[in-house]
Amino acid sequence: SWSLFFLVSVVWVVLVCLLFCSRLLSVGAAPICTNAQAGCHALSLANLFDRVIQHSARMHGISNDLHSEFEQYFLPSKNQIGRVSRNCHTSTIFTPNGKENAQRMARQELTEVILKLLVAWRDPLWHFHQSIAHHHDFNNFSANKALEMSDMVHELRKGVEKVAEKMQMMGIISNSVSSLASPEALLPSDSAEWRLMKDYDLLYCFRRDSNKVQNYLKILKCRIVPEHGC
Amino acid sequence: MAVFSSSSSSSSSSSSSSSSTSNLLLLLLVSSLDWLSTRGSVFVMDHMTSSAPVGPHFTECISREQETFRCWWSPGGFHNLSSPGALRVFYLKKDSPNSEWKECPEYSHLKRECFFDVNHTSVWIPYCMQLRGQNNVTYLDEDYCFTVENIVRPDPPVSLNWTLLNISPSGLSYDVMVNWEPPPSADVGAGWMRIEYEIQYTERNTTNWEALEMQPHTQQTIYGLQIGKEYEVHIRCRMQAFVKFGEFSDSVFIQVTEIPSQDSNFPFKLALIFGVLGILILILLIGISQQPRLMMILLPPVPAPKIKGIDPELLKKGKLDELNFILSGGGMGGLSTYAPDFYQDEPWVEFIEVDAEDADAAEKEENQGSDTQRLLDPPQPVSHHMNTGCANAVSFPDDDSGRASCYDPDLHDQDTLMLMATLLPGQPEDGEDSFDVVERAPVIERSERPLVQTQTGGPQTWLNTDFYAQVSNVMPSGGVVLSPGQQLRFQESTSAAEDEAQKKGKGSEDSEEKTQKELQFQLLVVDPEGSGYTTESNARQISTPPSTPMPGSGYQTIHPQPVETKPAATAENNQSPYILPDSPQSQFFAPVADYTVVQEVDSQHSLLLNPPPRQSPPPCLPHHPTKALAAMPVGYVTPDLLGNLSP
Repeated sequence: SWSLFFLVSVVWVVLVCLLFCSRLLSVGAAPICTNAQAGCHALSLANLFDRVIQHSARMHGISNDLHSEFEQYFLPSKNQIGRVSRNCHTSTIFTPNGKENAQRMARQELTEVILKLLVAWRDPLWHFHQSIAHHHDFNNFSANKALEMSDMVHELRKGVEKVAEKMQMMGIISNSVSSLASPEALLPSDSAEWRLMKDYDLLYCFRRDSNKVQNYLKILKCRIVPEHGC
Repeated sequence: MAVFSSSSSSSSSSSSSSSSTSNLLLLLLVSSLDWLSTRGSVFVMDHMTSSAPVGPHFTECISREQETFRCWWSPGGFHNLSSPGALRVFYLKKDSPNSEWKECPEYSHLKRECFFDVNHTSVWIPYCMQLRGQNNVTYLDEDYCFTVENIVRPDPPVSLNWTLLNISPSGLSYDVMVNWEPPPSADVGAGWMRIEYEIQYTERNTTNWEALEMQPHTQQTIYGLQIGKEYEVHIRCRMQAFVKFGEFSDSVFIQVTEIPSQDSNFPFKLALIFGVLGILILILLIGISQQPRLMMILLPPVPAPKIKGIDPELLKKGKLDELNFILSGGGMGGLSTYAPDFYQDEPWVEFIEVDAEDADAAEKEENQGSDTQRLLDPPQPVSHHMNTGCANAVSFPDDDSGRASCYDPDLHDQDTLMLMATLLPGQPEDGEDSFDVVERAPVIERSERPLVQTQTGGPQTWLNTDFYAQVSNVMPSGGVVLSPGQQLRFQESTSAAEDEAQKKGKGSEDSEEKTQKELQFQLLVVDPEGSGYTTESNARQISTPPSTPMPGSGYQTIHPQPVETKPAATAENNQSPYILPDSPQSQFFAPVADYTVVQEVDSQHSLLLNPPPRQSPPPCLPHHPTKALAAMPVGYVTPDLLGNLSP
C-alpha cells in the first residue's frame, strides 16, 4: 500500500506541474491579444497610458532639475526669457497652447503632435549630454541626468508608439500608417537649427516641450480611458 | 562658460609667472571681474532695486489654473503715477515672429491688476509685460517675461478633514488620516493640471511648522501626534515639477483627548479568565489523579459513624434491625475480626472503639474473661468490679465510647448478670439463692453488698444450666412464650426489647452484651428513664400513680421503689433496679417449659407481662411469682423453681 500511495502522489505531482507549466508557457507563447479577449494577459490601454504618463512626468522632472541647476550657474535673472536668442527649433510644430485647444484637437492629431515632439528632441538631447559630459564645469550628477533625459525621450517615444498602436487596434484612432511609421518625415528639413542653440536654451526649450508632452498625454488619457486617476 | 575658461587660463598664467604683488593684484582684479560679470546682472539688479527709488514695476503675475492669469503692478515711488490710468500695461505674446505689443485686455484699476482671460492666455508661449506711462514712456529696463505654466500657483485644496486611525498601545500617541479635495479651479479631472500637495502641521499657538513630503494624492497620514495636544494643520499645493506653491488652505485643528481606555479592563478580563481556567484545570487534575493523599488534604473525609466490620449503609437511618442483628453476633460474625472490611478505600478512617472488640486483646480477653467470670465465677472479680464502681469504668479502655458519666453501662451488665444469676433456672441451691436474691431484692437496691453476697452462689450453681431460653410461641396478644433450657440457640424477642435497649443509649460498645442480655431477658421491662432496667410494675407505676407493689397483679416483678421516687438520681448510684423476668415465675409453675407471656408493650416502651391468671403473691414476698396457672398456657415455671414457690 505504501508503494501504491507513493505512485499516486508522484502521478499527482506530475499532473499538477504539467498543468501549471502549460499555463505559464501558454502565456508566454500567446500572440498579441486582439480586442482584449478574455484570458489574454496583454496590458490594457489604461495601463499603457499610465506607464507613459509616469514616464513623461519623470522626464519633465529631470528637465526641470537641470534647468534649475543651469539657472544657478548662468543668467539668474528674472527675465531670462528675454535672453533667449532664438526660438526653439520645435516652434514650427503646431501645438495646442491651451486646455481647450488641446481638448478640441482630435485624438489622432494630438498623438501625432506628441510623437513629433519626441522625435524632434532625440538628437539635440544626445548632443546636449555630450557637451555637458565633456565640460568640466559640470559635475557628474548633471551629466548623468542629461544622459537619463536623453534615454527617456527615446523610451517615451517607443511607449507612445505602442499606445498609438493599441489605439489603432481598438479602433479609437484611424489607421494613418504613414505618419506613425516614419516620424522623421514629420520634421522640417532644417533640422540642424538646434545646433546653433546654446545649451541653456536647449534646456529651456526642452523643459517647455516635456511639459507639453506630459500635458497632452494626460489629456489624451483622460479623454479615452478616464477611469483611475483623472 | 567662456568666461569661466578665460578666468581659469588667466589664473594659470599668473601662477606660472613669478609671484609679484602686481600679478596678484591683476589676478584679483580679473577674478573679481569675472565673478562680477557672471553675477553682475543679479547684483546690478539688486543694487538698483535697493538703492535707487523704485519705479513702477510689476509685482507679480499669477495664474491659478493655467488657463488665465493676472498681473499686478505698483507705481513704486512715483506717486504721481498712482492715479488710475496713469500707467498702462502692454504685453507681447511671442507666438509668432511678427508679434506686437498689445494693451492689457482687462484692467482692474482698483486692484492695479491686469486680467488675461482664457482667450488671451496661451500656455508654453512667452509673454512679456511692460508698464508704460501716458506718453509711451516705458518705465522698466527689462521686460517682465514669463511663460504661463511657470507662473501657476494653484488655489489651496478644499474640504480638509481628518479621521483618527489608531492610538498607540501606550495611549500616548496616535495617528491621523487627513484627506481633502483638490482645488475646484484646477482641472485635475481632465489631466490639465497635475498637482502635488504639501501638508504642514504644528502645535497650536506655535509656529514651527513641520512639513510632510510632497505627494500627489488627496490623503495623507500624520504619524505620531500626541494625545492631549492640539494641532493645527494646513495644506498647499503646486504643479508637479514646478516651483511655485499656491497659498495655504484654512487651518484644521486636531485634538484627541485621553479616552478611558479599555486597556485597564483588558488585563482584568484576561486575569479572570486565566484564574478560572487554572482552578478548573486544578480540580480536573485532582479529580483525575485520585491521589489518596491529595484527596485527603483537599477533601478531608466527613466524619460519619464508622464501625469496623459493619457496612456503613447499615448505619444510616432506618436500618436498625440489621444493625441489631449484626451487633448481636448474627450474620457473618458481627463485629469480630472476621467481618469484611468495608473501609478498604479509606485507610485513614479511625473507628470508634467498641468495648467488646477491644484493640487490646489482653484486655479484651480480660474483659471477656471478666464477663464470663461475672457470670460463672466467684463473685470476687464481680465484687471487685462491683466495688470499684465508677473506677471500673475508668479501668476499662477509656476511649471515646460514649460513656458520659460514672454511670457505667457496664454496671448494667453486671446488674444484668446478677439478674441472670438470680433469675435463671438453677439448682435448688440456686433457687434458694435466687430466692434469697429475690428476697433481698429490695435490700439489694439499697446496698450492693448484700446483693453481692447473695449472688455469690448464684452464678456457680448455674454452670450447668442453660443460658438461653427459647421462645416457643408468640401469642397473638403480643406475649412471648419462653421455653428455657431446651436449646442453646437464641431467637430474637420482640424487637421492642432491642429497640428499647438501643434507645436507652447504652452505646454500641456494650450493645453486644446488652443484646445478649436482652435476648435473655426478653421480658425485662426496661426503664424508660434510661437508668437501666426497670420492672414492669415500675413501668406501670411510672405511668400510673405510684402504689404499693402489686402482689395482686400477679406480675412477677421486683418493685423498684427507689427508682420510682428518685428515678434519675438514685438510679445511678444504686444498683439499677433489675427486673425479674417472669421466668422464675414460670419456673415455679410450669412443669413443661419456662416461659412468660409478654402481654403488651407499654407506650413507654416497657413490656407489660401477663399476670398469671390466679396468683396472689405471699405478702412477705411480694416479688414472689404468683401461682402458676395450670390451666392457662401462660405462666409456667420450671420444676426447679416450683419448689421455691410458696403456695
